[in-house]
Amino acid sequence: MSTILKIFVFPAAMVIMCLGVLTILGGHITPGGGFQGGAMIAAALIFCLIVYGLKDSPIHLSHDFLAGVESIGALLFVFLGIAGLMFSGFYLYNLGVDIYHIVPAAIQNLFDYPDPTHAGILPYLNFAVGLKVMVGLTAVVIAFMGFKDYEKGVTESDPEELDYEEVE
Amino acid sequence: MINIYIGPLVLGLLLGFVLGTRIRDVPQSGLKFTAPVYLVFIIVAFIMAYALGPFPYYTDIPLASGFVATAVGIMIGKLTFGRGTKPQAEN
Repeated sequence: MSTILKIFVFPAAMVIMCLGVLTILGGHITPGGGFQGGAMIAAALIFCLIVYGLKDSPIHLSHDFLAGVESIGALLFVFLGIAGLMFSGFYLYNLGVDIYHIVPAAIQNLFDYPDPTHAGILPYLNFAVGLKVMVGLTAVVIAFMGFKDYEKGVTESDPEELDYEEVE
Repeated sequence: MINIYIGPLVLGLLLGFVLGTRIRDVPQSGLKFTAPVYLVFIIVAFIMAYALGPFPYYTDIPLASGFVATAVGIMIGKLTFGRGTKPQAEN
């Protein structure tokens, strides 16, 4: 990739990541949300991966990191759903807003989102979805790039030894 | 008295911090992003946050507070955990 791209892309990726997070955080009052913001952050990460390559990317995404963040996102979403079930009897009930007035005030304050709209658990759900989408989309590209390197390495040594089963 | 909404500040800082911890210097690539790059990034982030403006109904400060919080989170994450030089393929 050209030197101009290599100089430009990393700072640009950081700005795109900030825009992605802003899209996640405004999901309850502006167009956007967890999926859209997560996809924007993933775009920034993929931008770096494509320009610098898998080995030299300044944003280092290990397998453990990807698995951990994806799990935290999924667990946070499920936890918020089960919290609604526990305190109100409805799965994913918006405890922070409590439109039916069925949960104690302490629980409502606990799940309240501190901003002027008081959107309850919605921003937290957006946050969880954003985490999942961010690493999910990036992991697909990393897997493809890793497989391409693996295929190149095997065919250079012995084209007959290309074993697709081993990758799985 | 200015009423600061801490929701976007905390979540933005958290997500920015997580992303910032993944930044690594890779000398093998022949590129080195030094402190001025990050300084310019912070200045650009503040200008962009001012241009974007706050979310609807937010009357605390005339900035996109989540944007600034994320930029600061990236810097904090980079300075605390993002200093290694391990290449991507090693783990």
